[in-house]
Amino acid sequence: MSGISAAACLLLFAGHPPAHSALASAGPQAARIESLWWLFFWVCSAVFLLVMAALAVGLVRDRTPEEAGAAPGPIPPEARRRRTRVVAVATAITALILFVFLFASTGTGRAIASLSRSDRSDAMTVEVTGHQWWWEVQYIDPVPGQRVTTANEIHIPVGRPVRIRTASHDVIHSFWVPSLHGKRDLIPGHDSEDFWLQADRPGVYRGQCAEFCGHQHAHMAFLVIADPPDRFAAWLDAQRQPAATPATPQALRGQDLFVHLQCALCHAVEGTDAGGRVGPDLTHVASRRTLAAATLPNTRGHLSDWIVDSQRIKPGNPMPPTRLAGEDLESILAYLESLK
Amino acid sequence: MSRRADLDVSGLPSVVYGPRASLWWGVVGIMAIEGTMFAILAASYFYLRGGAVEWPPTDVRHPGLGITTFGLAILLASILPMHWAAKAAEREDLKGIRLWLIVSTVLMVAFLVVRGLVMRSLTFRWDSHAYGSLVWTAAGLHTVHVVTGTCENLLFLALLDRGPVEDKHMLDLRLNSLYWYFVALSWVVFYCIFFLDPGLLKMR
Amino acid sequence: MSIAEVDDIGQGWAGEDADAEERRRLEKTWKVPSNPLRAWFTNVDHKDLGKRYVVTALVFFVLGGIEAFLMRLQLARPESRLIGPDRYGQLFTVHGSTMMFLFAVPIMLGLGTYLVPLMIGTRNLAFPRLNAFSYWVYLAGGLLLYVGLFTNTGPDAGWFAYVPLSGPGFSPGKRVDIWAQMITFTEISSLAVAVNLITTIFKHRAPGMSLNRIPLYVWSLLVTSFMVVFAMPAVMLSSLMLAMDRLVDTHFFNPAEGGDALLWQHLFWFFGHPEVYIIFIPALGIVSSILSAFTRREVFGYLAMVMSLVATGFIGFGLWVHHMFATGLPQLGTSFFTAASMMIAIPSGIQIFCWTATLWGSRPRLKTPLLYVLGFFFIFVIGGLTGVMLASVPLDLQVHDTFFVVAHFHYVLIGGSVFPLLGGLFFWFPKMTGRRLSEGMGKLSFWLVFIGFNLTFFPMHQLGLDGMPRRIYTYLPETGWGTLNLLATVGAGILGLGLLVFFVNAAQALRHGEAAGNDPWGADTLEWAIASPPPSYNFLRLPTVAGRSALWSRREDQAEVTGLRSDRREVLVTNLLDAEPDHRDVLPGPTIWPFILGLGVAVTFITAIFTPWGVLIGAVPCAVALVAWFWPRGDMDREVVMEKRS
Ligand code: HEA
Ligand code: HEA
Ligand code: HEC
Ligand code: CUA
Ligand SMILES: [Cu+2]
Repeated sequence: MSGISAAACLLLFAGHPPAHSALASAGPQAARIESLWWLFFWVCSAVFLLVMAALAVGLVRDRTPEEAGAAPGPIPPEARRRRTRVVAVATAITALILFVFLFASTGTGRAIASLSRSDRSDAMTVEVTGHQWWWEVQYIDPVPGQRVTTANEIHIPVGRPVRIRTASHDVIHSFWVPSLHGKRDLIPGHDSEDFWLQADRPGVYRGQCAEFCGHQHAHMAFLVIADPPDRFAAWLDAQRQPAATPATPQALRGQDLFVHLQCALCHAVEGTDAGGRVGPDLTHVASRRTLAAATLPNTRGHLSDWIVDSQRIKPGNPMPPTRLAGEDLESILAYLESLK
Repeated sequence: MSRRADLDVSGLPSVVYGPRASLWWGVVGIMAIEGTMFAILAASYFYLRGGAVEWPPTDVRHPGLGITTFGLAILLASILPMHWAAKAAEREDLKGIRLWLIVSTVLMVAFLVVRGLVMRSLTFRWDSHAYGSLVWTAAGLHTVHVVTGTCENLLFLALLDRGPVEDKHMLDLRLNSLYWYFVALSWVVFYCIFFLDPGLLKMR
Repeated sequence: MSIAEVDDIGQGWAGEDADAEERRRLEKTWKVPSNPLRAWFTNVDHKDLGKRYVVTALVFFVLGGIEAFLMRLQLARPESRLIGPDRYGQLFTVHGSTMMFLFAVPIMLGLGTYLVPLMIGTRNLAFPRLNAFSYWVYLAGGLLLYVGLFTNTGPDAGWFAYVPLSGPGFSPGKRVDIWAQMITFTEISSLAVAVNLITTIFKHRAPGMSLNRIPLYVWSLLVTSFMVVFAMPAVMLSSLMLAMDRLVDTHFFNPAEGGDALLWQHLFWFFGHPEVYIIFIPALGIVSSILSAFTRREVFGYLAMVMSLVATGFIGFGLWVHHMFATGLPQLGTSFFTAASMMIAIPSGIQIFCWTATLWGSRPRLKTPLLYVLGFFFIFVIGGLTGVMLASVPLDLQVHDTFFVVAHFHYVLIGGSVFPLLGGLFFWFPKMTGRRLSEGMGKLSFWLVFIGFNLTFFPMHQLGLDGMPRRIYTYLPETGWGTLNLLATVGAGILGLGLLVFFVNAAQALRHGEAAGNDPWGADTLEWAIASPPPSYNFLRLPTVAGRSALWSRREDQAEVTGLRSDRREVLVTNLLDAEPDHRDVLPGPTIWPFILGLGVAVTFITAIFTPWGVLIGAVPCAVALVAWFWPRGDMDREVVMEKRS
């Protein structure tokens, strides 16, 4: 029985996890935790097998001669002494293993903390704010005009530590990118300590809100996109620009509708009159890979579905359905798609 | 059938006092539960105080060291007649019990009046801020206990009046007193926490 | 002396005729009202109430299980549209709350109220009316939750209802209020049972059953009861605070006005962690009972076992922060809680080792109850080891709030508690009903449950590591979580089938099961020495005890208690340490007032959901019931105290 389970363990735990797995680490924090995991995993597996083996042997062994045929009652003293010794030794080994675990665990904790205390001048700071049910992302810059606001997508340069400063706008959310680090709760009223991430390989790492935060907790994911430094710099630069003025008449009309319909109450587009802060900043929405907190791929079809009735996609989210004549919808889509 | 030895218990008493009695354990159990609840409430106070920028909030005024201490004094004074009532119960002295129950009930009611005055003079409500919530909740829970204690005394007085008073009631009376010591003493803790808070003392 | 010679305790002591006479008197004195309706509302017999607890809790188990199965159906494939987010939120919240508050704790305590007086050789619990009251309050809490669920007002903020999500700002409506009051009901109930059990165990043991001879099962309930006394006030208080934040605008958890959302988490888990041991420790007692019966040995290392139970109880209060590692608390503090959480593995380990030593070379009879115990070893050790993984802060930061944790706690809750419980129900079913269950169906149910369980919950470890958070009503196909979830759902079906077999077995046995006799398993505790089901007064003559295994150590001329009056409900009270006879107490008989008081409490807390005046409205029936409860009825034949003329 235990053999099967061991095989099952291997089969299950050694597969090819996708890019949002604690066992597919892509940064120093997650890598340290991953190696700690494997230590725990192997030691615990061994403990389990030993305990099961002892049980199995105990079950098939015959009664001791002095006990055979005896009346029910206490185990005879001789056998009791032997067993007391064995139990004591097993307990001692347990304590020993736990010490190893404790040591390894605090060691890993310290190692991760020391990564965090990194005072490298090239560290950059990203502010992540949880909303029901999306992520607001801001790149801090001493020059006010240089601040970048986006949503549900965090771009980071490969190999550079990034300081994440978290906050919540409403209820508790939890920020988690399994391939990069463990999670951190975003608790209203508690400014959290800084939290550090680093990606060692370029790639797209999925993250998801881990603390139950209401109806759409299931659809509160985000992407961390790690790019080589030059690509990252280019991205950041593009994001710093205000929205481009629409080039086509249709898009221009879309912009007009956007600003004058209720959209602008909730959404901001830099460089226009739209300054709402309830929903995600849409200044460069077309440059993003996904919509609605990594729920939909960012395609024209999904964008259209979302605007017409986001409630069918994420029931309960704050954005109301919008009744738009076909032409108006086309214009808004054209406009939003122009927001590269 | 072989004849067995027996353990004759017919000579044992049927009412005993203190930890020998089952009911004593019941009452002590309730005291442990409520004591834990009060302790956790006090811990919550210190937790919130520790995280606060200003404590107590600026709109809070001390209701007066005089009246709050006076209230506490009445409450503590009521322990004495309750103790004497218990002593009288030990002697099965119904008159003494009645007398001391009446005295302590009067003190309890007096305490409730003072409690009412203190609460009315507070400059904040339970919905003003977390500080207010704590003070009102602690006082409220404690008041419920005092009211219950008072009602219990009245119940015993009614029983003494109507009878039949049974031997077991002597145990009940003594445990009633024991429980009252707990109710009275638990306010000492909250009195110290609330009214001797250095922050609050400055706000008079 | 062999087991066969143990006969009905008290039987034949004074000759057949005298015995028959005594039996008749006891039957009259301890009679349960014969009108079933009256009996239902006034009964104070610990066995009837205990059975009622167990059956009610099993009904809630089935309801909670059906909710679980619905969740599993929804999660079986990505983007399933079977159940929407709102319903799903209610389902997992009500599932978790049902299983913890309405199933696991009440069934463990309820089984305790059934068994403890029998095992320690007395006639009822120390406070029979309080026991009835506990049941009514528990029932009221359960009904409240399910009326809520069926009227689409089921709570939906999770079984630990974190603020601010559960606060007035984000959970308008009555859903969370229902949750908070349900908590209050069940906690009042558990606290009352705990006090009752502590007193009974301390004071009502048979002469000779000194503390170091108490059966391990009774020890486990004693430790559990103490944990209840010190843990549950925290959740009573915090649910009160939550209800007040919601209903009368207090600010305990509102950071804008000096409150703190983390205070809720501290208070909840200060209760919540001991809570899981409250569910777990009685199960350890069951394991010991079953093991000693089937190995025909006393459990190895009595003292070590008792110390482990007590240590678990103590350490259990120092672990709560391990549920809050991800909140970003200072590292030094969290290391302390890591250390404490790992330390608790030592007493658990000692118990596993002692049981192994008991089994070692015992050639036990592999009957169904023992199979469940062996299943317990397999599953609980896995669950305990994943618990140790969770205790490590860095690992927990990864798997916290994922299906890894869901896997951990079902391994410990079901493996650690439900398996022993099922084994225990199988074990004591003959005692409770007088009928034997079918071994064949028992074994079938065991294997279905065992395989189904592992199939359901083992894959969840992997899902958690692969990034699947808990409490999500659906997930995208790209996540790759579909296959393992489907596997889990299939497993849940098999698990449900196994439980169905278990229940069918019970239903069949009730109708035409083989008669059980006094002692079908050859076990060692006192309940096996009397008829199955036991008479209302339990023992014709209260027994005395000469060793740890009351029956195995029973001498031919073992003394029995005489001299208790049988024309009123007299029981023997003994002293705490050595259980030497101390005095005779008189217990009350059937009465309606516990029910009325329960009703009053229900009125109080349910109307309080709608208006704060509810507290005053409810105070009236409560006060009436309490006065009536207290007022002497003169039916106990007590001595009347006369006014002294001086
Ligand atoms: C029956 C209930 C039960 C039991 C017994 C346990 C037992 C343990 N639990 Fe568990 N736990 C829960 C029920 C239980 N738990 C529940 C319900 C939750 C989740 C609540 C929620 O979030 O909804 C939870 C969550 C939980 C967490 C928080 C996870 C998170 O939310 O991030 C942690 C973290 O430390 C933890 C740890 C432990 C530990 C260390 C033990 C230990 O007691 C285990 C000790 C036992 C063993 C280790 C096995 C036997 C020992 C040996 C064979 C000796 C050899 C061993 C070694 C050498 C290691 N548990
Ligand atoms: C003692 C406690 C206990 C028990 C016994 C169970 C039993 C089960 N639990 Fe539960 N569970 C919890 C305590 C418990 N759970 C808690 C505390 C939570 C957290 C809640 C929260 O997050 O707030 C949780 C959460 C939880 C989740 C996570 C939900 C989420 O986060 O999204 C899941 C998902 O699979 C689940 C599944 C199951 C299953 C399949 C069973 C099965 O074992 C159930 C088996 C029982 C039956 C099926 C009923 C009886 C059988 C019949 C009547 C036969 C007929 C039925 C069929 C054939 C289906 N549970
Ligand atoms: C009441 C506020 C509100 C109004 C009005 C509103 N939105 Fe939204 N919108 C939101 C919120 C909140 C979200 C984030 C939802 C989520 O992901 O859960 C959102 C998301 C979006 C997104 C996806 C953004 C992303 O990066 O994921 C687009 C595009 C969008 N809205 C466009 C519009 C348009 C076009 C209109 C007007 C027709 C509009 N919104 C009106 C609140 C609003
Ligand atoms: Cu945000 Cu879950
Ligand atoms: Cu815990």
